[in-house]
Amino acid sequence: MRTPLRWVAWSALALAALGVLAAMGPDYALGQLAFVATFAIAGLGVVLIVGQAGQISLGQGALMALGAYAQCLLVRLGVPAPLALPFAMALGAGGGWLASLPARRLGGLYFAMSTLAFALIIEELLVRADGLTGGAAGLAVPAFAVGPLAADSAAREALVSLLVLALAWLACRHWVDSALGRAWRAIRADEAAAQSCAIDPARAKTSAFVAGGALSGLAGGLYAHWIGFLTPEQFGLMLSFELLMLAFIGGARHLAGALWGALVIVAIPQLIALARDLLPDALASTAGLEALLFGGVLVAVVLWRPQGIAGQR
Amino acid sequence: MLHSRILLAAAFALLPLAAGAETPGVSHDEITVGSIQDLSGPIAMLGAPVRDGMLMRFEEANASGGVHGRRLRLVVEDAGYDPKRAVLAARKLIQRDRVFAFLSNMGTPVVMASMPMIVEAGRPHLFPFSPHEATYLPLHPLKFQIYAPYQDYMAAATDYMVKTHEYSRTCLLYQDDDYGLEVMKGVEAGLARQGRRLTERTSYKRGATDFSSQIARLRAAGCDLVVLATVVRETVAAMTEARKLGWEVDMLVTASGYSAQTHALGGPAVEGLYGVSVLPHPYAEGATPELAAWVARYRERFGAAPNVWSVMGYTAADLLVQAAQAAGPELTVEGFRVALENLQIRPDIFGGPVYRFSADDHLGNRSGRLAQIRNGRWQLISDYLH
Repeated sequence: MRTPLRWVAWSALALAALGVLAAMGPDYALGQLAFVATFAIAGLGVVLIVGQAGQISLGQGALMALGAYAQCLLVRLGVPAPLALPFAMALGAGGGWLASLPARRLGGLYFAMSTLAFALIIEELLVRADGLTGGAAGLAVPAFAVGPLAADSAAREALVSLLVLALAWLACRHWVDSALGRAWRAIRADEAAAQSCAIDPARAKTSAFVAGGALSGLAGGLYAHWIGFLTPEQFGLMLSFELLMLAFIGGARHLAGALWGALVIVAIPQLIALARDLLPDALASTAGLEALLFGGVLVAVVLWRPQGIAGQR
Repeated sequence: MLHSRILLAAAFALLPLAAGAETPGVSHDEITVGSIQDLSGPIAMLGAPVRDGMLMRFEEANASGGVHGRRLRLVVEDAGYDPKRAVLAARKLIQRDRVFAFLSNMGTPVVMASMPMIVEAGRPHLFPFSPHEATYLPLHPLKFQIYAPYQDYMAAATDYMVKTHEYSRTCLLYQDDDYGLEVMKGVEAGLARQGRRLTERTSYKRGATDFSSQIARLRAAGCDLVVLATVVRETVAAMTEARKLGWEVDMLVTASGYSAQTHALGGPAVEGLYGVSVLPHPYAEGATPELAAWVARYRERFGAAPNVWSVMGYTAADLLVQAAQAAGPELTVEGFRVALENLQIRPDIFGGPVYRFSADDHLGNRSGRLAQIRNGRWQLISDYLH
């Protein structure tokens, strides 16, 4: 009974998406899709760290920054964008490893604070290393291109993002189903009990941060191209919180939570902007109206699905 | 069934593309203009008055019959200083609202992220709130700017101040980011014209509220002019700190501190502060009759007193209206560009600069003028400085 119902729901959703696409114009919708997919990749990273391994990371934005800057600098040096992406991932993974080091001594909230400090340090370093990063003045990012082939339209951006998201999804599926995933869930449930079953909590946490960092770096690498201009302030604490919110809204314990969360975080503000056009002028021009409505939607989603959209009701 | 719906949806989606060769955003009775503002982010206090100023000018134009019979419609998107939202907003305005041009987009990250796709789509990118050189250099047929980099204003202002007051020890307090560094370059260039160098410089983190160590350091260096690369709150805090210690040094703040809020917040402590003014603040008291009437209309329409940002929005919209008027009844992007490049701009009621564009210079103004807080309000004390 459940399966056909699910199909009906999915096709209704697909039809609604097509309707929105028709109403908004294809480029606008595909541009959204590129960002949704990109943020879903970063969201997968948060799901591994927060949802699977049970660690709170307040520094995901900084890991994305590492990937974005690595990608930008390599591409500026002439490395083809797809070949630069593994390096962006590697730097993100390295950052994740570094951020996880305090987990060997600290736990819970104290460790969360250390990831916050990590994010602040990275942002500051990006400002200070202005010879490399352009500092606060920023850095222009070339298009995502291989030879004459460039992802320079919304459709191609969306295609690249979806392709990368699919690969990232498969990797996550594999990790979650492996012994690694079981170790993550074991330390999430009870560190002491996990340890008594020969699981090394420090190693498990580190591996979650390395995998999560790699995904954030990957998302950062794509984000850099779609935005085309990097400044350290884009990767401030706000982004880290946004990513954390993404995972909780979508459902941190499920991989699908990253997709739902990205859809809410990226697309809802845009839908609100569209809906606002229908309001009377006096109301529509109220400053901060969109932020207010967005907050309302978030609260409603949390009340409706405390475990996240992908979670159990 | 599903297939036919997809086809239908796709057909609808392609409709706008087939609409033909007429100029986007220009119909026989309307011109649509887009603007990406910050109405909810860190510089929302600028975004709202800029939007209101633009709205006011468009409504006035519409009330007097529009531009060659076309009404002006402003579509504002809030990007909240977030480049991701700016990219999406730019796509929406280009594709869905099919705007003719972008006016006064707000914030450097927003502008830098959205500008490439805007000019790629063939839409004029007019007078963005970003002091970044890329908004007018290298020369691009669609990029026009009226705000010069801070560096230009500050070089002229520092040069003028040092020359007229014969300061020998100029110092700098700057915000530790691109804004502060840009001002520093300008101050150094201005001092170099007088064969001088900065005596002391000290920085603060954005959002700082305590300036005691910075002021103590500047005082110890024996500065006789302190240039402030600060925004409103930091300007007030730094000057209050100095006066509290009994240090009556002259201070000069950038255009970011030239705001009515500076004297409203600072009170007697900021009396005597020098500032760079790009456009004058529209005070109702002592205004010319035209300006007083304008202030009253603004108050009535938006329920708040206009400030310097309202004037900027109004002025930007006015330039667009003038150029569209000059471009004639057949409005095209190319015709608009030529009209703007050759526009003879009248002096405005605010006492703002007389902007001037040409075929090889799309930066309409490079100079600001000096003002000083006297009796609790900004008074202009120099002509436009070069």
